[in-house]
Amino acid sequence: MTLVQAGDPRAFEVLFDRHSGAAFSLAYRMVGNRVTAEDISQEAFLSIWRSRLRYRSDRGSVRTWVLGIVHHRAIDALRRNLVHDRRRATAEGLEERQEAPELTDVEVVRRDEARQVRSAIGTLPSEQSRVVELAYFGGFTHSQIAEMLGTPIGTVKGRMRLGLEKLRRELVEQVA
Amino acid sequence: MARDHERHADDPAAYLLGALSELERQAFERHLMGCSTCGEELDHLRPATEALSRSVSPVRPSEALKSSVMEVVEREADEREQPSRPRAATGIRTRLRALVPSLTGRGPVVAWVSASFLLAVGLAFGAVGASLLSDDDGRTLAARVDSVRVPEASGSLTIAGDQTRGAILRVQGMPSLPSREVYQVWIQRDGEMVSQSIFSVGEDGGGAAAVPDDLEGADSVEITREPSGGARAPSGKPVVSVGL
Repeated sequence: MTLVQAGDPRAFEVLFDRHSGAAFSLAYRMVGNRVTAEDISQEAFLSIWRSRLRYRSDRGSVRTWVLGIVHHRAIDALRRNLVHDRRRATAEGLEERQEAPELTDVEVVRRDEARQVRSAIGTLPSEQSRVVELAYFGGFTHSQIAEMLGTPIGTVKGRMRLGLEKLRRELVEQVA
Repeated sequence: MARDHERHADDPAAYLLGALSELERQAFERHLMGCSTCGEELDHLRPATEALSRSVSPVRPSEALKSSVMEVVEREADEREQPSRPRAATGIRTRLRALVPSLTGRGPVVAWVSASFLLAVGLAFGAVGASLLSDDDGRTLAARVDSVRVPEASGSLTIAGDQTRGAILRVQGMPSLPSREVYQVWIQRDGEMVSQSIFSVGEDGGGAAAVPDDLEGADSVEITREPSGGARAPSGKPVVSVGL
């Protein structure tokens, strides 16, 4: 990462190779089509390149930083209605996307990790997992979710907090 | 714990999930600077949101994604390594590019630029060009104003250090607005407008607003008049603009 921060394009290429799969997968999961997901991924990686000096290792891994930027970009895209139809799909529930047909070793590890996390999400009460997923993957604000579900805003925010708290506990137990 | 903690007590989870509106996010981030309780809550819950990003099945992007990203990265790296190229020249080209779409009709947002606005560009351009030569530790850019709607106004954007740390936009001579309206600050990037903050001006028409986002790659910072509370997207032409 030191070389990336020094502006070395070859080092950035390594970073891209290492994280672009996870970045694209997250964007694709959120917006539901390849073209928009690639636009978001491209914007995100160029933003990462241009703001590389902002990365601080004491605040988390490079992967977390990259995925955080992709997540923000995808939310921006969803809220700009670039992927209007996706909103309805998200509101109707989570669907699995088509996976890469032949997985690399790294992708196999990530698929297994994804299954573990989804298993932890599956332990949440449905009213908590729903608001968490609508917010994180659907890009909806808490007030939009409240309106969509006919639930007070305070309740939605409370469920978000409880959902994340329980998910955190589940993940800790999985590791233990 | 900050005095206004009660109002933000449930915000950390919504913030981590990206579920706050732009204006709510800015308000929470301001609160966060003085509230260790919310900071601790964020640190506590963050592993859960990070796990959400890892819950998606792997899907492979096309090869074109890498080539398009690396093409830009290599070009920009090459430009950085050519010290003979004046920094100002690159900046001026960027500014001219930002204006040209308004004449060609390519960019819907830039197309707002009115004839009066373009006239004002000519007057202000010398100051903008001069400011480009400022030291990298900080620079101030002159604002362009709509000479019809805010004829007495002037303004400047002060960018501290590298432009990833945001900026402060200051204005003078702006008309006071009725109570149901505010001024709203936006960053324009690739034809898209991203809200930054809202503000009102004092009796003397002076005011200041934060531009907290990274300005890297942005084309301009704009001010529009919007309904009280701010808007999700600009509802009219900008009254003040600072080219980047």
